[in-house]
Amino acid sequence: MPEVTEELRVVNSLGLHARPAATLVQTVLKFKSDVHISLNGHRVNAKSIMGLLTLAAAQGSILVVTCTGPDAEEALTAVRNLVEAGCGES
Amino acid sequence: MDTHNLPINRKNSIAVARLLDAMADDLELEVLCGFQGIGRSVYTSDINRPGLALGGYLDYFASDRVQILGNTEIHYMEQLSAAGLQHRLEGMFSFEIPAFLLSRNLTPSHIFMDMCNRRGIPVLRSRKSTDEVISRIILFLAEEFSPETIVHGSAVDCYGVGCLIVGAPGIGKSETALELVERGHRIVADDVVALKRRREDSLYAESSPVIEHHMEIRGIGIIDIKSVYGVGRVRNSKRIGLVVELEEWSQESEYDRTGLTEEFVTVLGVRIPYLLIPVRPGRNLAIILEVAALNHRLKELGVHPAQKLNERLMTLMSNGDA
Repeated sequence: MPEVTEELRVVNSLGLHARPAATLVQTVLKFKSDVHISLNGHRVNAKSIMGLLTLAAAQGSILVVTCTGPDAEEALTAVRNLVEAGCGES
Repeated sequence: MDTHNLPINRKNSIAVARLLDAMADDLELEVLCGFQGIGRSVYTSDINRPGLALGGYLDYFASDRVQILGNTEIHYMEQLSAAGLQHRLEGMFSFEIPAFLLSRNLTPSHIFMDMCNRRGIPVLRSRKSTDEVISRIILFLAEEFSPETIVHGSAVDCYGVGCLIVGAPGIGKSETALELVERGHRIVADDVVALKRRREDSLYAESSPVIEHHMEIRGIGIIDIKSVYGVGRVRNSKRIGLVVELEEWSQESEYDRTGLTEEFVTVLGVRIPYLLIPVRPGRNLAIILEVAALNHRLKELGVHPAQKLNERLMTLMSNGDA
């Protein structure tokens, strides 16, 4: 099973709060791959909004995104585009 | 349930500052000297009473532990000559010592305090008795160093049995948990369950301090169980007695039909009874979970319904009455 990992920086000023977390969940749900995000050794499933909220990822945090599955590359690209664009926020 | 690939978090060390922070109220702690060493690391949950080291025997000195000084050690130091004490302490201090912890509000000699100040070894003092200090500090350290993991699922206290509900996304874990809450049971955590091994044989589920008892219900959004149902329906921590995996009903899988064999899963090294429950439209999972919890309690009390029925059947058959 292909697995890809990349470090991404949270850019939006309010951090990964409920709204951007929900956008992220909606994005990764379209893929078959498992997407996990870790921050400071705390690893959660990116398909769970509550999981993402427990990260409490403030602006500037470095998220380690790991995608595992048949469409891992595509999933990672989608996550990268979204996180770099501030998850639809400024 | 895949319990082998769980990411395990375990602290390698904790700073003395963390110990001071967490236990300050509990043990009525104050820092006597060596404050600059407050960032020193403690690497083990064991403690040591350095009586023999003070006596000059350093061959097996467990220097890497928090050193507890009680009445015995303090009075022993008092009856040594200044030069003698200095010599013994120098021997001890040639090792890395994380911290000293004094009980009973004792005051050590100036020589001891000066040396700790110079070397930056924090000396904490408690008002509690030595026994009390030792038992509390061991419990605290053991908990700090216990392995932890996070699983996706729900944890509910159902009739006093901590049930961990796991299964594929969308199978209905949260809805089952919500229905159990509706029926009067208490929720520990939903979606993100922190699991902690407290002692060798017990696993505890805890809610995340960030999301507490919030729950996401698809189509509604985030709700707060404590506000909607009240404080009586939530708890922060519960020992897990049963792991229940929900699975879409499939012709291929074999489900337990008698309950004569018991299955277990091992999570963080703790063996816990395990049930695989098939999900099908119209099956009321909350009721099935309640029955599972009650049946588990019966078994814990030594009553095994399936075995009893089978034994009765076999007695009947051997008597030739059947």
